[in-house]
Amino acid sequence: MSYALTEEQQLIQQSAREFTQEYIEPIASVIDHTSIHPSAVVQLMAEHDFLGLYLPEEFGGASAGYLSYVLIIEEISRVSGAVASILINHASLAAYSVNRFGTAAQKQAYLSALCSGEKLGAFALTEPGAAPGAGVHKVVAAKEGDNYVLNGHKCYIPNGGVADVYVVFALTSPEAGVKGMSAFIVDGNTAGLTVSRTIGKMGLRGCQSAELIFENVIVSNRNLLGAEGAGMKIAQQAQLAANVAEGAQAIGIAQAAMDDAVRYGKQRIQFGRPIAAFPAIQTMLAEMATNIYIARLAVYDAASLIERGEPFMKEAAMVKLFTGRVGQSALIDVIQIEGGYGYSQEMIASRFYRDIKGAVINESSVEFPEKVIAKDLLA
Amino acid sequence: MADMTLTLEQRKLQELVREFTAKHIIPVASEWDEKGEFHEFILEEVKKIGLNCMAVPTEYGGPGYDSVSQSVVMEQFGYGCCAFATTLGGNGLSSYPLAIAGTDEQKKLYYGRLVAGGMGGFALTEPGAGSDAGACSTTAKLDGDEWVLNGTKCFATTCGVASIMVVFASTDPSKGVKGLSAFIVEKEREGFSVGAVEHKMGIRSSNTVELLLKNVRIPKNHLLGNEGEGMKIAMKTLDMARPIVASMAVGVAQRALDAAVAFAKEYLDVNGKPIGLNQAVGFKLADMAIQVEAARQLVRNALHMKEAGVPYTKEAAIAKTFATDTAMHVSADAVGLMGNHGYSKDSFVEKLMRDAKVTQIYEGTNQVQRMVIAGQLLR
Repeated sequence: MSYALTEEQQLIQQSAREFTQEYIEPIASVIDHTSIHPSAVVQLMAEHDFLGLYLPEEFGGASAGYLSYVLIIEEISRVSGAVASILINHASLAAYSVNRFGTAAQKQAYLSALCSGEKLGAFALTEPGAAPGAGVHKVVAAKEGDNYVLNGHKCYIPNGGVADVYVVFALTSPEAGVKGMSAFIVDGNTAGLTVSRTIGKMGLRGCQSAELIFENVIVSNRNLLGAEGAGMKIAQQAQLAANVAEGAQAIGIAQAAMDDAVRYGKQRIQFGRPIAAFPAIQTMLAEMATNIYIARLAVYDAASLIERGEPFMKEAAMVKLFTGRVGQSALIDVIQIEGGYGYSQEMIASRFYRDIKGAVINESSVEFPEKVIAKDLLA
Repeated sequence: MADMTLTLEQRKLQELVREFTAKHIIPVASEWDEKGEFHEFILEEVKKIGLNCMAVPTEYGGPGYDSVSQSVVMEQFGYGCCAFATTLGGNGLSSYPLAIAGTDEQKKLYYGRLVAGGMGGFALTEPGAGSDAGACSTTAKLDGDEWVLNGTKCFATTCGVASIMVVFASTDPSKGVKGLSAFIVEKEREGFSVGAVEHKMGIRSSNTVELLLKNVRIPKNHLLGNEGEGMKIAMKTLDMARPIVASMAVGVAQRALDAAVAFAKEYLDVNGKPIGLNQAVGFKLADMAIQVEAARQLVRNALHMKEAGVPYTKEAAIAKTFATDTAMHVSADAVGLMGNHGYSKDSFVEKLMRDAKVTQIYEGTNQVQRMVIAGQLLR
């Protein structure tokens, strides 16, 4: 990789690789099989400053930049897509929202704890049966004195039930629909906030998904993030920032899967030679390697835009679109190359196949990336 | 909607199987998948409607369905559960070598077991012989009036629960492909045992096992065709089986399309309108439908050619490749379109996406199909 990574970024990448090989790789398939949130791994990531890596030093982060952060996501994803998802939901969604849109007091109260790893974050946007704020289960925030009272359901919330802090989206003006959506910082132990169930998933198992019920959850108006009605903007910005991290997740998974297919292709003998010697297999490998290379450059470029504080919406959406397409296609081909072996539940290729789908669908629900890109082009 | 390319009888059969699938398969398919258990109970039910061994001719006590009818049935079973369809499809496939090369006596033996409700298996693949079936290391040596079989087969569909099966072994290893022969082996033969059960990412309730053959002695007349005709029999069998696998894949794809359409009608976007009204979503659904319908008609075309008695090897391979690629892409698109819901166990489309992948691999990988198609084009 000759993209101009600084010496510091290369060091971070190298230490992340050592970290993942030592602490995550040995238990990655256990995390998948048991679907249990790996709290010890999260604790270790906190000790290594991963949880606040790109966030400001002022609040306990490492100020290492968004590109360094996506390098870490990429490395983690090479061994466990689930652990990467835990970190993305914490750092790119929950902490990102607080850092970008929070007041100094909110950052003092929450960002420091999120950076140190004292608290794990989650992003509660998705609702059952409809886009946020549009269905029968919508979460509504009614103003009562100095507080808001939240009622409704959230569904498929990653880190749900294991997080300490939730960024929750709720309608402060239900009649205005999604324009009346606002964001709140809600402590996980607030009375009335309960987990009704955890949700089984195809992959990314171990990044716990839960359905949350809000029943007269009282939230102080000091915890309103941004202005009333700013919810949609906050959600979209955070999701696009997360899209870049998910792009890194997709290329990390795809790279590891391709490495596995290369290893398999060299050792699997059919028709008297390694299958990797056949042009048909070489074509598939060359295609995915090309896609991963180009996708990686786009991910790093978009991450650099975020890091420099420049507009990144269009580029983040492009990353989402492209990494989704190439990540999916790479895994379909990797299993194809490995055949019945790769399809076995015990093989990492089949885990990567299930995981990458989660990496490429997550957070695309509010607005299609195509729409974001077209909007920018047509503005 | 009536399927106008079918005869009245075929349409009646289609309706019967559609009802059967809705009643007996769909309600339990997810549970089977979760447990990874073989579905013996349903086999009893299928026997009641006479669809357990569709390919067995009437003179041997079977229903003797034409291949289009078999395809119609398998599409419906694929719609209900690809794992179950794989079991029944494998049962049918195992009987094709008899139709191709069996003597009257052999047919009575083999078909008799199937008609009585026993399952049939087809054991071709070995650890070192997948796409390259000629690399078979299982041997058969004539000892007086008996063949003695030795070796290991793997990824053998249904063979752990089969009553009788066709096993491929080399009668003359020095001749490679031309030394391959096909044998009928009953499960009770001494020295025959079932090894490891394969745990798979998808079609989890289909039984896939390793077969161990240790000095298995079978009568001389259990050889199908002549010595060295194994490869020819295997290839003709796969010609017959390809449109059947393709039919199952069409069923998987149709199910994914139906699920995506239902979701698009129900799920509301941020403005409270069903997402299906979004043109981008509508076009995506249209693309999925185009593929499904094209796949179905390719299958029908190959089968009409078969019934007409004209060469159909190329068309069967084209249908298999296109239909299974369609199952893969349409199921992946359905999960993508349905987002977090589609990715979760709340929906069954994630199962479709896990199941679909194997259809591109088994009964000749889609790379082998392309070898067949290219071979036909370039000869």
